[in-house]
Amino acid sequence: MSAAKPAQQLARQLFRLSLVNGELSAERVGGVLEYVEKHCAHPHAVLSAYHRLVAAEVARGQALIEHAGPVSPAAIASIVSAMTQRYGRRIAPLPQRNDALLAGVRVRVGDDLYESSVAGHLSALASAT
Amino acid sequence: MSTVLEQIEQQIAKLSTKAVRKNTGTIRTVADGVARIDGLSDVMYNEMVQFPGGTIGIALNLEEDEVGCVVLGDISKLKEGDEVQTTGRLLSVPVGKALLGRTVDALGNPVDGKGPIAAKEFFPVEKIAPGIIVRKSVSQPLFTGIMAIDSMIPIGRGQRELIIGDRGTGKTTIAIDTIINQAKINKVGLAGGDPKFRPVYSIYVAVGQKQSNIVRTISALEAAGALEFTIIVAAPAADNPANQYLAPYAGAAMGEWFMENGMDALIVYDDLSKHAVAYRQISLILKRPSGREAYPGDVFYLHSRLLERSARLEGKGSLTALPIIETLAGDVSAYIPTNVISITDGQIFLETDLFNQGIRPAVSVGLSVSRVGSAAQIKATKQVGGKLKGELAQFRELAAFAQFGSDLDAKTKAQLDRGSRIVELFKQPAFNPIPIEVQVSVLFAMQKGFFDAVDVKKVVAAAASLKEFFVTRKDALLTEVRNKAALDKDLEAKLQTACDEWKATFNG
Repeated sequence: MSAAKPAQQLARQLFRLSLVNGELSAERVGGVLEYVEKHCAHPHAVLSAYHRLVAAEVARGQALIEHAGPVSPAAIASIVSAMTQRYGRRIAPLPQRNDALLAGVRVRVGDDLYESSVAGHLSALASAT
Repeated sequence: MSTVLEQIEQQIAKLSTKAVRKNTGTIRTVADGVARIDGLSDVMYNEMVQFPGGTIGIALNLEEDEVGCVVLGDISKLKEGDEVQTTGRLLSVPVGKALLGRTVDALGNPVDGKGPIAAKEFFPVEKIAPGIIVRKSVSQPLFTGIMAIDSMIPIGRGQRELIIGDRGTGKTTIAIDTIINQAKINKVGLAGGDPKFRPVYSIYVAVGQKQSNIVRTISALEAAGALEFTIIVAAPAADNPANQYLAPYAGAAMGEWFMENGMDALIVYDDLSKHAVAYRQISLILKRPSGREAYPGDVFYLHSRLLERSARLEGKGSLTALPIIETLAGDVSAYIPTNVISITDGQIFLETDLFNQGIRPAVSVGLSVSRVGSAAQIKATKQVGGKLKGELAQFRELAAFAQFGSDLDAKTKAQLDRGSRIVELFKQPAFNPIPIEVQVSVLFAMQKGFFDAVDVKKVVAAAASLKEFFVTRKDALLTEVRNKAALDKDLEAKLQTACDEWKATFNG
């Protein structure tokens, strides 16, 4: 039997243990890393799966705000407030300049993508035709 | 000029700048037509997802931290890390009369080179079958044009009748004959101008077949003038398993459109053995647990949800299904055959031995059954062929017994003679369906003993001569039989006279 499935199960278990009150705890993540190093037969497989879960959780707690032109701090604050309200949890902003958007903003929170850029609308138009 | 500019500015201001929300994921692996995707936390079961380049897929496995999707299209352009988006839509295919005469793939895209299809409506590929309240019992006949079937194993509109047999026993031929017969009946009926006439449109779904076989089928339908009433859904062997898995559901959606709009349709699934194999392939790649013969646990549901969509609806139309199953060495007790036998309303079992003996169609009377029975037969057929199945079954029993001894009493000998004549009478060339009124006339002649004096080897020729006689010289009588659909004393007398007339001309 391949080691992938038990490794995934262990990673999920470790991930659940890394949460305190529904939020990732840096201290617990450190503890998990220590445990995996000392006790796991397949640390690479477990850590890869664990990394994926933690990365997804981190992404759920932050709003990656891609913008082509300058964005005012007020606009960022309003995006963060809207996202915090929508998801019911604290969302941290992560502004990033992306000239490929041409104009507008694209916000990503976890798996959700809020497209308000010219490039996004153009590609939607292109795929619709 | 300034007002023009203001107008444009107002128009721009009105344009929505609202952000569009999309749920996304990234491809982790792509192999064998299946993509495993991280993310897509909002995806629904069976939802269409969009890959880069416009390729679409269907989410079939929703797991805790990944989604398994079958890709419907070219996977060679997909790579790890590509972004995938949910669409919020279930897979739909174009439906309607615009598809008649066309050959489409499992997604409803034309593959016959005749240009785009102007379909106005789309139906979801997966749909819950009609419930018990809206269903109506099957009572209207659907003539196959095959005398052995129409007289002994009648099929009704809305029925699911399985065609089962080994390879090369004529399963597809029966289905094609039925489609051709529907086209012939449609042409006569529509030309007659009867407002009560209900044409039957056909859908032929080819799953996992050789392209050459599909082309041959299309040519046969075209040559018989049946293509204009038929939709071909092709998912050939070279297609990916996802398309082969979807094709029957796409065909069912096209058939449902006719049913929902008060029309009658016939759908042929050729064949569901290959469909099950394609689904097994997908399931194994998706790492679903395998069961008997390595099929997944839901392989029964795969076929039951498909075949349950065929029905006759109260106040609407009907969808009749002719699924085909290929057996190995005549083993009807294998996994998939038993499943489909239990779902359908009867089966037409074709035997290799009969086929090799030259009895074609090679219908095994003993193992074939229609659970709808005589409810789906016109009265005239019941009158002339009601006892045929019993007689033929008795003949087979006696024939096996008679092999061991030569001294037979007169009654047994007469039964054997009659049985062998019936067998000969039911022989019928491929792609040559017989109209029901001609069938009734021939069976009438059989019942009245007109073939008794004919040598067994010449029964086929005699039957052909009788059919030709009726078609060329007794057209009015045939029309009367067709319209009355029952034999009264007057009609019986006319048929008797006609048969006497034929007997005088036939020197066999």
